[in-house]
Amino acid sequence: MTGAVLRVNPLVLLAVGLGSLLGSFAVRDLTTGLVTLAAYALAVVLTVPSWRYPLLCLLFCSIAAASVVWSTWRLGGHDEAKAFTAGLRILVLAWPGSVAAGYVDPARLGDHLAQSLHLPGRFVAAFSAALQRFWSLVREWQELERVRRARGVGPSRSPLATLRYAAGAAFALLVQAMRGASRASVAMDARGFADAHHRTWAEPATWTRADVAGLAVATGLALVPLVLHLT
Amino acid sequence: MTSSADTSITGFFVRYRTIDLVTITTLGVAFGLVYWAWGKAYAPLSEPLVLAYPPLAGLFGGVWLIAGVVGGLIVRKPGAALVTELVAAAVSLLVVGGTEWGVSTLASGFFQGLGAELVLALLLYRRFGVVVAALAGAVAGAFESLYEWQSYYDYWDLPYKLVHLGLFALSGAVVAGVGGWLLVQGLARAGVLDAFGPGREQAREV
Repeated sequence: MTGAVLRVNPLVLLAVGLGSLLGSFAVRDLTTGLVTLAAYALAVVLTVPSWRYPLLCLLFCSIAAASVVWSTWRLGGHDEAKAFTAGLRILVLAWPGSVAAGYVDPARLGDHLAQSLHLPGRFVAAFSAALQRFWSLVREWQELERVRRARGVGPSRSPLATLRYAAGAAFALLVQAMRGASRASVAMDARGFADAHHRTWAEPATWTRADVAGLAVATGLALVPLVLHLT
Repeated sequence: MTSSADTSITGFFVRYRTIDLVTITTLGVAFGLVYWAWGKAYAPLSEPLVLAYPPLAGLFGGVWLIAGVVGGLIVRKPGAALVTELVAAAVSLLVVGGTEWGVSTLASGFFQGLGAELVLALLLYRRFGVVVAALAGAVAGAFESLYEWQSYYDYWDLPYKLVHLGLFALSGAVVAGVGGWLLVQGLARAGVLDAFGPGREQAREV
């Protein structure tokens, strides 16, 4: 519990998840699965600032894994070893990535996508601009709910009515989002967005020693199942 | 500089207008929010049926495919479907956090977007009717199912895998394809797609 995960850049965090996804394909037996999962658990315990969020993720992933264990047992010839291997593989595939993703700062992601990965600048800037809208979309959703309740057009208790209501509100939200998009793009073009040649970014995308070490750990963890599988 | 009235494709290299990029990313963010919420509703809704017959999980997957189809139908340029779906997947993974599939969400988004993109590309980005939309949704679903064969359901016997693929493609065709097409028509009627093909087709000459 050192909080080291908070000091690495978003790309390193994504690399942890990508490594676990790729590594999970080498999980072919129970031992490999258990050792790999233990290695990731150790890394998580050593780097996260608090245990609550990783455990919540583990709960979600376990539900998914349990469902896969059941379906593999049922449709893969009633083989317990295979079924639990498949379940462990889901945990290796999903859990490290979902924990790491929770510590990504979306606002910093754009800086790194543009400066470290050299994705097209216009696209990254548009992406960052849209990300800024995320929480305002959430607020707009709550506003829509309040307005509808005040007008007496809230849903009744039946699930079908709730679904219809949610679909209607989602459509209204989408209309607002699209209006915002055309307003934003006119504003961006008015500031010379389309024809800019030299772009500056909010913050420099640095690679500190902690980032390099994090990337090494991500690679090492991804190789654990592969090495176990080959030996 | 490209004028904002230029919505057609000229030549192989396509210049994205600012409004194209902002629309793609805004759709990505809005659908990312929807995906995240659907992710929370997905397990309680699907689990009873999946317990009864696991390949039925495919029927619930169509919702995940809608961003790519809608992005492709609205913007009508190469790459729009793929990128919209990918952004939606990334947003549902990164912004709120705590998805149950981790970075696999991004891989899924890539394959789903690729499926929809492929259909639109094969028609040279000229046809955007309801049949094309359904086809794009179906292929997106089939691609996702193939990815899930590899990553989640590796040990299933082949017939069950094929049922999963069929149901996923069906769900994609109906929910993402026809549903996405209806959504685009609705948005066009609401007057927010005036800068795009679907909005132009709605406009009446006076």
